[in-house]
Amino acid sequence: EEMFYGWGELLNGISPYAWAFIGTGLAIGLSVLGAAWGIFITGSSLVGAAIKAPRIRSKNLISVIFCEAVAIYGVIVAIILQTHLDGPDPKLDGAVSLKDKFAGYAIFWSGLTAGFGNLACGICVGVCGSGCALADAQDGNLFVKILVIEIFASALGIFAIIVAIIISTQANFGADE
Amino acid sequence: MLDLDSKVWDKCSPTAPFWGFLGAANALIFANLGAAYGTAKSGIGIQIMGVSKPELVMKSVIPVVMAGVIGIYGLIIAVIIGNNVMAPEGDVPNYSSYDGYAGFAGGMTCGLSGLAAGISIGIAGDTGVRASAAQPKLFVGMVLILIFSEALGLYGLIVGLILASKKGQPCDSYL
Repeated sequence: EEMFYGWGELLNGISPYAWAFIGTGLAIGLSVLGAAWGIFITGSSLVGAAIKAPRIRSKNLISVIFCEAVAIYGVIVAIILQTHLDGPDPKLDGAVSLKDKFAGYAIFWSGLTAGFGNLACGICVGVCGSGCALADAQDGNLFVKILVIEIFASALGIFAIIVAIIISTQANFGADE
Repeated sequence: MLDLDSKVWDKCSPTAPFWGFLGAANALIFANLGAAYGTAKSGIGIQIMGVSKPELVMKSVIPVVMAGVIGIYGLIIAVIIGNNVMAPEGDVPNYSSYDGYAGFAGGMTCGLSGLAAGISIGIAGDTGVRASAAQPKLFVGMVLILIFSEALGLYGLIVGLILASKKGQPCDSYL
């Protein structure tokens, strides 16, 4: 009979490579989701407001670019994480070393940090960009002032990738050098 | 290869880094969610208010700055906890279960408090900037309410730091 006695059984039972690959995938997947969400929020407001004020169209594309930057952050983190994903140490013959488990957990949480942090950032930049377009349509002087709010919002994505990179620095699969 | 019956695996479990990194990650994730909500919600208020009173926009960016500071609280705790998690050396763990659970607690404390503070700053800032544009005497009141909201995030940071800096016995002493 197989019984799980606690979290330790569950966490030890899942392969560290599973943790690591899921984390890497979610890093880019969730970041791109956040960027996409932000782009459609901004884009729909932008085209709607530009019906009566077509002059705002080119200037407000910068809000869309801020959202795209969130997706780029996710790509950067995923590429950094995948460099840690070496194959298993052939000397161990299929067993999992302590270092591999550590690396699996580190890469999983690093990827989730970047993913969910960028998800929040992308939506926030989208909402701020939408308001920027609407305000710009009514009064052209407001564009730069409301853009300041968007810059604060995109700082959240930077926080996410800083923490993701710090968490993943010690994660090493495979043989010791 | 790993002798799972020896005493050290109970006190320095291989899964301890999972909890430590969970704390670091969630500190940042929830603080970012709170900061994002605060920035977006109060930003909407500023944008609507700015159409009729453009000269008050830069003064009203205060709730956005405070929401950003909530994100920084999460960043601080996440970096501290993430740096505390030590990689094992060969077969010897360096990070005890106690440290793992302490990091988990510290991270969740700061993160969820940051989420709460960010939501509070967002809603209070949104209505605050609109009201203080209509009635200038309300500006000081709005700032006071925002400061009390920010303090909630600060409480989470303080308790999170206390929890995250707790260290158990080093794993070598169990070997």
